[in-house]
Amino acid sequence: MSTKEERTRIELLQGTLDLLILRTLLLAPRHGHAIAKAIEFNSEDVLQVEQGSLYPALHRLIKRRWISVEKGTSENNRRAKFYRLTPKGRRQLELETRKWDKLAGAIARILRPGEQAGEP
Amino acid sequence: MRRRKRMMEGLDEDLREHIDRETQDNIERGMTPEEARYAAMRKFGNVTRVKEAVREVWSFLWLEQLLQDLRYGARVLRKSPGFTAVAVLTLALGIGANTTIFSLVNGILLRKPPVHDPDRVIIVSNKWAGNRGEWDRLPVSAPDFLDWRTQATAFSGMVAGNFDDYTISGGTIPERVPGGRVSSNFFQTLGVAAALGRTILPGEDQPGHDHVVVLSDGLWKERFGADPGILGRVVRINGNSYVIIGVMPSAFHLWDFEARMWVPLVFSREEIAPTGRKERFLRVFARLKPGITAKQAAAEMGTIAQRIAEAHPDTNKGWGVAVKSVQEYSIEDGNVTTALLFLTVAVGFVLLIACANLANLLLGRSLARQHEFAVRAALGARRTRLARQLLSECMILALAGGGLGVLLAHWGVRALRAQMNWTEGAVSLAQTLQIDVRVLVFSLTISAASAFVFGLLPALHISRTDLNDDLKEGSRSFTRGGERHHLQRLLVVGQVALSLVLLAGASLFLEGFLEEIRASAGFNSHNVLTASVSLRGLEYYGAPQREAAFFENALRNLGNLSEVESVAVTSDLPFNFPNERNVAVEGQPAANPDEQPRCGYFVVSPGYFETLQVPVLQGREFHVSDNVNSNPVVMVDSAFARRYFANENPLGRHIKVIEGGTKDDWREIVGVVADVNEFLGQRDSRPHFFEPFLAHPAGTMNFVVRTRSSPAGFSEALRGAIWAVDSNQAIASVRTMDAVIADAGQGDDLMAELMSAFAGIALALAAIGIYGVISYMAEQRAHEMGIRMTLGAKPTQVLCLVIRSGMSLTGIGLMLGLVTSLVLPKLVAAGFNGFHASTAPALVAAPVVVAVAGFLACYIPARRAMRVDPMVALRDE
Repeated sequence: MSTKEERTRIELLQGTLDLLILRTLLLAPRHGHAIAKAIEFNSEDVLQVEQGSLYPALHRLIKRRWISVEKGTSENNRRAKFYRLTPKGRRQLELETRKWDKLAGAIARILRPGEQAGEP
Repeated sequence: MRRRKRMMEGLDEDLREHIDRETQDNIERGMTPEEARYAAMRKFGNVTRVKEAVREVWSFLWLEQLLQDLRYGARVLRKSPGFTAVAVLTLALGIGANTTIFSLVNGILLRKPPVHDPDRVIIVSNKWAGNRGEWDRLPVSAPDFLDWRTQATAFSGMVAGNFDDYTISGGTIPERVPGGRVSSNFFQTLGVAAALGRTILPGEDQPGHDHVVVLSDGLWKERFGADPGILGRVVRINGNSYVIIGVMPSAFHLWDFEARMWVPLVFSREEIAPTGRKERFLRVFARLKPGITAKQAAAEMGTIAQRIAEAHPDTNKGWGVAVKSVQEYSIEDGNVTTALLFLTVAVGFVLLIACANLANLLLGRSLARQHEFAVRAALGARRTRLARQLLSECMILALAGGGLGVLLAHWGVRALRAQMNWTEGAVSLAQTLQIDVRVLVFSLTISAASAFVFGLLPALHISRTDLNDDLKEGSRSFTRGGERHHLQRLLVVGQVALSLVLLAGASLFLEGFLEEIRASAGFNSHNVLTASVSLRGLEYYGAPQREAAFFENALRNLGNLSEVESVAVTSDLPFNFPNERNVAVEGQPAANPDEQPRCGYFVVSPGYFETLQVPVLQGREFHVSDNVNSNPVVMVDSAFARRYFANENPLGRHIKVIEGGTKDDWREIVGVVADVNEFLGQRDSRPHFFEPFLAHPAGTMNFVVRTRSSPAGFSEALRGAIWAVDSNQAIASVRTMDAVIADAGQGDDLMAELMSAFAGIALALAAIGIYGVISYMAEQRAHEMGIRMTLGAKPTQVLCLVIRSGMSLTGIGLMLGLVTSLVLPKLVAAGFNGFHASTAPALVAAPVVVAVAGFLACYIPARRAMRVDPMVALRDE
């Protein structure tokens, strides 16, 4: 069923999706569909998110009180739920980002020994 | 939880909203609305699963799902009550039987004496090896014991006991009870204290201070009504007064040294005289000093024994010492150990058969449900979810089966306790018998594991294969699933083989032990009541004529009762080891006493052989006229005749008792009787000879009474008739002769009953297994049968087809089982002394029984297959 192109896309790890959601909400509160769009757009469609999987992740973040929910109306005047980053979530995002950078750097050094991390 | 509810409320709407937006986006990208919606749905993924995942975030979802699964599982299982009942019962039987028997095995084999630090207590026995074999549990003489005690350094304490029967009287009826004369530090050395009062103190082994007695808990309860004020009361033991100083706790019991009362051991002058070294009657216990091993102690004792043997060669030459822990001492009693081992194997078989059965049932079921699971997987059920579903069904089965199994084990152990009554030791052991938790857990684990493994197979299958095949194929495939049919067939073959081995083994025991033994006992034990009577403690004990008069009167009283067919007395009952004597035969050279077999020696009254229905082969039985005043006469058994008079007529020949004879004169052989065995399954009868009671009266005799009907209710009349002669007379152990034999077998018949129960269970399980597989296969082939019948096959041909497929499996299993069973007689014979049953009936009967069971198990599904309506079967496509 899957084509070659699809296979080059990366399926997201659970924790990574959480991180991406938090990052997306850093600038402004968004509703669910907008979050999905943003992740797809910013990753140039490399990160393939089955959009449904966004929702369990959102609820997980709500439960941890890293984001909050508010009712509002979207750009075209439709009712929607907006997700907003809480201060706690902001701290978590910083922490996770630092952890991620460290991890990515470490992996890059292992994969490309002798080269500067981050260079192609 | 409220937060969760709030969060879940808008979820449906949120998701719909999301998909709507995506659809809108797609339309804007130029798709048709239909395409747009489809693409949006695909991008979103499985909505139900997303909802479930969200719910999972908020809840103890696994718990909810578990409950849901369990509820669903219960519903599924309720829908097939036959399968459920059989599976649960199979589990329960396996677990229950296994646990019960292992508990018994552990209770007996691993028992420890209820003393302080039992591993440090050892029994020091005499060892004697001659050309007739080696004995290492022989008692010890008083002078030897005293020497050992002074010289040995390996022990912190060494004590002796002389265990015998005592007559206890005063107050209520006199009674003969087993008791012990024990060293004054006996209880201290064993490290046990009295439950009430005290035990014997040092110094109470001095003449004049020694008239104190400690009672067992049982005797205290039975004879003294558990009177808490018992201490200080005076009882008469063997005619002397003793003060009760203590009562032992109920758990205190040295199984091989049955005692219900203990008095101080005071050695008589004769016992400690140099000639006393010949009189070996003491049991010696010792506690190892800290840091000393049993091996070191054995080495030291060996040296000491050698030294004594050198100093006293005429009494101690050839006598060594054996050092054993109490456990070793009691369980090396070969047959009990082997019997328990056999039982354990039998139980293992039952457990195996049960597991195979369960596997078969679940496999059959999983094949039938392949379609169901394929459909559910296609509808989006995750595999883990399906597996969990199956798991919960297995869990219900395992819980129900396990629960019932525990109950069965509980009842089983209780039933065993009630059955273990052959000696007081067995009774006290029975009290300690309880469910062995380790074994219970083990059996539970094994059976639950097999339930889970085979129950989960369908889930594995689904994750392994392409759903499409399963869906296309539907539920009526008869071409696929071959490998698992294979496994099922294999399991059936194994089950049949195992149950055959078990059945053959069980019938070997039944035949071998019960029939053979009863038939070879040499007499008719039915409707015979026995009672042991000792005149010890009465004023005329030791006065032969008055003793003779007592027994004559009692015999007359008994003979006058209408229920009594005949009655006699004997010095020893059959199946109890008799006294031994060396004899000389007139006209034959006196042989070296060491090389000559010692003969079993009985004193019996006229009518003894008639009462036991032992055939008199030659000559006559004793008459009343064979008394002190007549010519000395004896009777011998045919083993005696064979040994001493090979081809000659023993009648009229004379023999002399070399040792222990009352009158050192020649006695004429007046009769020859058939052999009576001394122990169960005896192969070669030992020579025995019999002397007339009236010529050799004794103070301790056993009544044998043949009653016209069952002797069960006759004990009171028997006691009454004896007490009519002397009401001070103690009567011990009134038992039927059947009970005497059973006692001698130490529970062999219990063992045979257990074995046959197991064989029955195994057979039933195997039949269920065959039935399950054949009916399943027949069901799977209903379509094929329909085609066959449409093409002109007769119903009977279909019947034969199904039966043949089942019976071929049974046949293979039977062959395998039979081959295995062929080694059984040898195994059993190797494990049990004196076992020599004819094996043919067991090896013929058992396969027939299994074959019949197998046939029935095939026949029922075959009948069903025969009645298949071809049209229905074909339309079922």
